[in-house]
Amino acid sequence: MLNSVRLQNQSWLKMAEYLQVFRRALGQLRGHGGVKGLMVQLFRANDVKTGALIGVDKYGNKYFEDTRYFFGRHRWVIYTTQMNGKDTMWNVDGSMVPAEWHRWLHCMTDDPPTTHPPVPKKFLAEVHQFNVSGSSQAYVPYSTTSKKIHEWVPPRVQ
Amino acid sequence: MLLEILLEQCWPSMGSWERPSQLLQMCLLERYQRAASIMLRLPTVSRALSGVAHIKGSVAVTINVRTGATAAPATASNQMEVFVDGKPVMVEPGTTVLQACEKVGVQIPRFCYHERLSVAGNCRMCLVEIEKSPKPVAACAMPVMKGWNILTDSEKTRKAREGVMEFLLANHPLDCPICDQGGECDLQDQSMQFGSDRSRFSENKRAVEDKNIGPLIKTIMTRCIQCTRCVRFASEIAGVEDLGTTGRGNDLQIGTYVEKMFMSELSGNVIDICPVGALTSKPYAFTSRPWETRKTESIDVLDAVGSNIVVSTRGGEVMRILPRLHEDINEEWISDKTRFAYDGLKRQRLTQPMVKDASGQLVTTSWEDVLTRVAGVLQGAQGTNVAAIVGGMVDAEALIALKDLLNHFNTDNLCTEEIFPMAGAGSDLRSNYLLNSRIAGIEEADLLLLVGTNPRYEAPLFNARIRKSWLHNELRVALLGRKVDLTYTYDHLGESTKVLQDISAGTHPFSKVLAQAKRPVVVLGSAALQRDDGAAIHAAVSTIAQNARVSSGVGESWKVLNVLHRVASQVAALDLGYKPGVEAIKKNPPKVLFLLGADAGCITRQDLPIDSFIIYQGHHGDVGAVLADVILPGAAYTEKCGTYVNTEGRAQQTRLAVTAPGLAREDWKIIRALSELAGVTLPYDTIEEVRDRLAEVSPNLVRYDDVEEANYFQQANQLAKAVNQTVLTEPLVPPQLSVRDFYMTDPISRASQTMAKCVKAVTEGAHVIEEPAIC
Repeated sequence: MLNSVRLQNQSWLKMAEYLQVFRRALGQLRGHGGVKGLMVQLFRANDVKTGALIGVDKYGNKYFEDTRYFFGRHRWVIYTTQMNGKDTMWNVDGSMVPAEWHRWLHCMTDDPPTTHPPVPKKFLAEVHQFNVSGSSQAYVPYSTTSKKIHEWVPPRVQ
Repeated sequence: MLLEILLEQCWPSMGSWERPSQLLQMCLLERYQRAASIMLRLPTVSRALSGVAHIKGSVAVTINVRTGATAAPATASNQMEVFVDGKPVMVEPGTTVLQACEKVGVQIPRFCYHERLSVAGNCRMCLVEIEKSPKPVAACAMPVMKGWNILTDSEKTRKAREGVMEFLLANHPLDCPICDQGGECDLQDQSMQFGSDRSRFSENKRAVEDKNIGPLIKTIMTRCIQCTRCVRFASEIAGVEDLGTTGRGNDLQIGTYVEKMFMSELSGNVIDICPVGALTSKPYAFTSRPWETRKTESIDVLDAVGSNIVVSTRGGEVMRILPRLHEDINEEWISDKTRFAYDGLKRQRLTQPMVKDASGQLVTTSWEDVLTRVAGVLQGAQGTNVAAIVGGMVDAEALIALKDLLNHFNTDNLCTEEIFPMAGAGSDLRSNYLLNSRIAGIEEADLLLLVGTNPRYEAPLFNARIRKSWLHNELRVALLGRKVDLTYTYDHLGESTKVLQDISAGTHPFSKVLAQAKRPVVVLGSAALQRDDGAAIHAAVSTIAQNARVSSGVGESWKVLNVLHRVASQVAALDLGYKPGVEAIKKNPPKVLFLLGADAGCITRQDLPIDSFIIYQGHHGDVGAVLADVILPGAAYTEKCGTYVNTEGRAQQTRLAVTAPGLAREDWKIIRALSELAGVTLPYDTIEEVRDRLAEVSPNLVRYDDVEEANYFQQANQLAKAVNQTVLTEPLVPPQLSVRDFYMTDPISRASQTMAKCVKAVTEGAHVIEEPAIC
């Protein structure tokens, strides 16, 4: 008798758990704007998380927070799809986060720039620049050793 | 109890442990000693082998000058027996103790003794004990006597060596860490092997002022041990009496007495023969250590002698060039241009393909672009509209590839820069354009006639061979042409071409001398063939040679007529059927001209139509690259495996020591790629296949280090008699008259700063060259 009640209780609990999962899944679907949005998010960020939208910077990067996740994973950014004329739909980069959001995102502060606008500094860029490593604009230090081979320079034509 | 049993069981085996270990130790010791003796023997073995090669390579009678000068001719009967450490060896009378020891493979330490120089016997390092002799003797200078037992490793010998070494080190600075000889220093090696393990010296060391003897050789005279090898080299091999000794005893110094340059084209060799770091290379100073460098055995292409060299490289950079032993060509010497022009390989290089843009400026581009352009231009031109000129440093692989490519476009306008008269037999008979007697063959000659050449600067090693024969075999030399200093005495017959005609007609007094010669040799310089009357001069010399040959009565194996070339590629180009001289191109100016390393300035824009298209392929931005519409960067001789044929007709190959800089590629590969884009793919993809093609055209080109015999002198002479060209009255003046004309003759040496310094030093004096004052 007692056993059957416990079994019944357990099966109810199980049911509740499944319901919970189902509700969370629905929440995710709704939070990302349907199946397509969810898939896009999964492929772009390799993760599906919903949380409170803390702010959007002027380039369109969205900043989220959900304290249910453990520290370090509780703040994240969903990058914009176009920034500074570059298509960033799939080609995203950490350096797309501008300086004012960088502090909040990296938990250096709990005050997002939406509520506490940063103090204007002249070294803060008007338009945020990407990291140029690996591109043709990358900085290359000049060599301090002499050249092994000196090439011929053709004479200048007037 | 158990332990006891165990021990008992083990005991017999443990007892026998003692003996095997001793045996093993003895075996090891013996092996070590044998290894040491093998190590010491190695140089003598290689020398013996090279001697064999010498006999095989040259004609039947071989007289070695050095042994001929020091030892009596060998006969089996008067050999005598001596003992080296108890081992019997049969030697000829007059053999020195040192040579007898070398014969059994025991090398005696030495500093002053050098087998190609006279014996000085002043370093005393070669002291050995002779059994039953009261004093040790200097092995390099003492002739052996019958029955002597030479003790090369006795207590007395070792003590003598240790004492000599102690005296040598007493005045030698302890600066090995900053010395350029470190790692290849005889004193370092021998003090480790034979010296004492501690010093008793507490006095002050002697110091000697450094001498400035030019921009090539750095002197740190405090390191000198007065072996006088350099003095003997200068006076015997180089033939300049610039170096000598002053003072005596502790104050003995090597130097030039008054400050002057050591002015010889072979001066760099004193760096090699100096057993210590007293004479080192100035351009190489403080750049690398011998154990850091990778050595590549290669061939020099800066003259037509084809000296064998070792290219030392480190990190893809040529650090220095050293000579390599080849008894038939350069012995163990090389000229200063060969040794020091390597810094020209790092300057003025073509590293990227270039094309002319709309404004006429050469700009860098990609291989795809440049090859498609050239291929398109070649496809648009056929027959007489295409021509090629090849320069003096092109390898045979590139020559054949270019010839095959242009033959596909129905043209045979492939010319060399150097002229060789094609009247008479021309280049059809190989004997017409080779140094048939060979370089080593000069040692057997008794009379040498030089016509219109200055071998001292055109072929310094050939001149050294003449000097050697003049010194030891009493070779008589006569020169027809401008009077120059050849480092030996000669009969100057004048510089007029009239004399040449008189000798060929038999009316000149020298004809009688020539007629009496037993083994005459006539050498015609290629400079004389560059004149308008080259064919007539060649015909006259051919007649002189033929007459001398008939009158001397030597056999068929003895060659009289010789041509001494000045550039490395000429013989291979003639073997492959290139037309010598650009006369044909000047007559029929082509629309498309392919210059393959052509930097002598034989052709200018004025000789060609306005809209002609010039392609330059080569490794240096020199005369040719300035003319070009398109530049294809090729590889220099240290950067490719290439076949070169020297003036004797000996095929040799250079080896790849460093990779070509930038986008530059091996020359035949560029032409092969071009052929594919032009739609006439050449049928070879690897260097082996190119060489198979070379063998098809001229098999001697791939028989490396072998000289193909050339003959038909009589027939060539008969054909030459048909030449009806008048000899001009201009005197026979070779272009290189003094040492300043020697240093810069080709794109590599013209790009070399060291060579520029040499020219400056010989014109303005050694003191004008600014050198950084380090050490």
